[in-house]
Amino acid sequence: MLLMLIGVGIVHVASLYAYQHALNREMGLANETRLADRLLTIRRSVMRVVPGERESVAHEVSGGPVEAHWSATEHARSGGPGMALWEGLRQRLVVTSGDLLDEDIVIGANRKSEADPHFVLVSLRLPDQSWVNITLFAPEAKPQTGHGTVLSTTLMALGVLLVSMLVIRWMTTPLQRFAHAARTLYHGTDRAEVPETGPREFRDVARAFNEMQGRIRQLIATRVQTLAAVSHDLKTPLTRMRLRAETLTDRAAATGLIRDIEDMERMLEQTLTHLRGDRKDEEMRTLDLAALLTTLVNEAIDRGARATIIAGSSAILDGRPLALKRAFGNLIDNAVKYGGDVTVAIADTGSEIRTEIADTGPGIPEARLEEMLQPFTRLDPSRNPDLGGFGLGLSIAKEIMEGHGGRIALSNRPGGGLLVLAVLPKHASAQR
Amino acid sequence: MPAILIVDDDRDIRTLLAAFLAANGYTAQTAQDGAEMQEKLSRTSFDLAILDRMLPGTDGLALCRQIRQSSTMPIIMLTARGEDEDRIAGLETGADDYVTKPFNPHELLARIRAILRRAGHSGAQTAPESLIRAYHFEGWNLSLERRELVNPEGVMVDLSTGEYDLLVAFLESPNRILSRDHLLEAARSQPEAIFDRAIDVQVSRLRKKIEPGEASPPLIRTVRGAGYLFVPKVTRL
Repeated sequence: MLLMLIGVGIVHVASLYAYQHALNREMGLANETRLADRLLTIRRSVMRVVPGERESVAHEVSGGPVEAHWSATEHARSGGPGMALWEGLRQRLVVTSGDLLDEDIVIGANRKSEADPHFVLVSLRLPDQSWVNITLFAPEAKPQTGHGTVLSTTLMALGVLLVSMLVIRWMTTPLQRFAHAARTLYHGTDRAEVPETGPREFRDVARAFNEMQGRIRQLIATRVQTLAAVSHDLKTPLTRMRLRAETLTDRAAATGLIRDIEDMERMLEQTLTHLRGDRKDEEMRTLDLAALLTTLVNEAIDRGARATIIAGSSAILDGRPLALKRAFGNLIDNAVKYGGDVTVAIADTGSEIRTEIADTGPGIPEARLEEMLQPFTRLDPSRNPDLGGFGLGLSIAKEIMEGHGGRIALSNRPGGGLLVLAVLPKHASAQR
Repeated sequence: MPAILIVDDDRDIRTLLAAFLAANGYTAQTAQDGAEMQEKLSRTSFDLAILDRMLPGTDGLALCRQIRQSSTMPIIMLTARGEDEDRIAGLETGADDYVTKPFNPHELLARIRAILRRAGHSGAQTAPESLIRAYHFEGWNLSLERRELVNPEGVMVDLSTGEYDLLVAFLESPNRILSRDHLLEAARSQPEAIFDRAIDVQVSRLRKKIEPGEASPPLIRTVRGAGYLFVPKVTRL
């Protein structure tokens, strides 16, 4: 926007300058032509009559800033200050008259008087070698560039600037809408259509963009539907297996089988959750994050984990309850699985809720911290085959936090163990 | 022996589930679709129905609505989709509970027990107990349809399954001393066995979430040697 403004400004100033220059030139030319015509008319009028009447005719055609006399010799003497200005007139006279040569024209001061910068005398030779002497009131050496011109052009420039700002706005607003639509394309199910308005080119691009958006959504929808169908079909045999496990008399075998079934079930769930992304269609609610995390920590304790929660009485924010429960559930499960003692601490900073999940496990090598937030990334799966999961927990949590306008960061604690920091804005309005 | 009707289009699941329920003290009959369900319902009276959400022809939600038009028989919906809106749709249609496939059979059993206890408690067919949609107390609101607790400031307060079951038990019988045994039975929808001491833990966790603080009088009073008593006035919605 700024760049375009500067560009338009430069173009404007340059064109204004060029215009002014050409105008001045044009005006000078027009004046010269008019003056030459007048002088030649006087010369013709004097030339047409017999020598006796010439002086009186010359007198008759005089008027305004022009005063003509007839005489046998030229009254003007060439040279003098500012004569360069009159070179144009001389040339004009030569060209327009057709019979005057350079030496038939003398322009300068009156040879009988002192040079006066306000008057100039033009002597034109007649064919019979007599002369017409015409006194002109000389205009100022420089054409006047009044303050009026500067003022009016500046006003004009401001006007042009204002109009161009409006035009630029008109042109860039659709671009901003494109950027917004592109950014929100993957979030949410409500289509961020770009309105097909503005210049024709923008309407074309908007239409193309909306069509592309439609195709991408279609693609995602088909993919999710396919996987939902597959997962539904897998859940039926899993249900049968789970029920069959109850009929086994070998309890040890049954327990192992049940654990396998539960692992498979969790993988199915995680894959589906990952594919769906953060479900923006879940309703936004005002909820108490402290209560939610207390539930998760208590559930972990009931499953035999060593976990503590440090929270104020409440930590209230706007969010999607099930999504947040899933995200923090993943984080706490991970900490319990890999980390020994788990501490969950919640702090309210006024505009954000910061949750720290710390464990006393081995942590993650510094170089791999970032990578762990990517889907399907596991830390050395060969070392801990019993731990299950397949690297979706953290990436799902990250997606959900970001879907809430929040963020997640991993770091190793100075005393050992992993620290997961999740920051969520308190109000939906703070979200993009 | 309570009688249960299982409606599912998968033959193996029908028979396996019927066998499992039979092994745990219930008589179970099966139906593969809506037509067979109606036929069985017309011949036998059941205490509870388990409906699959996805059935060929008339789906589970529609069947649930059909049953609700003439009966308050408890209904548990089974679904392969764990979607929240599915669960809510099911509960709003009049189902009493919702179980996601693949389920832990013992958890299903616990839920059947809890629902039958609740239905028996209210006199099943006569009192429209299962049509209660929400409870209201001290500005708090507990929605049974959405399984959601909202505090007087309109903030959603998360409850664990155990805490939820416990709170429902309190809200069903306010201002009455409830023994640990009664509460234990009520909080049994969790498959893991909960022993006596655990009830105290559950009650203290629930208190932390709903009681305003030291200054105000407690909502749940401990009655030494007898159990717990829910103090506030409860409105059924």
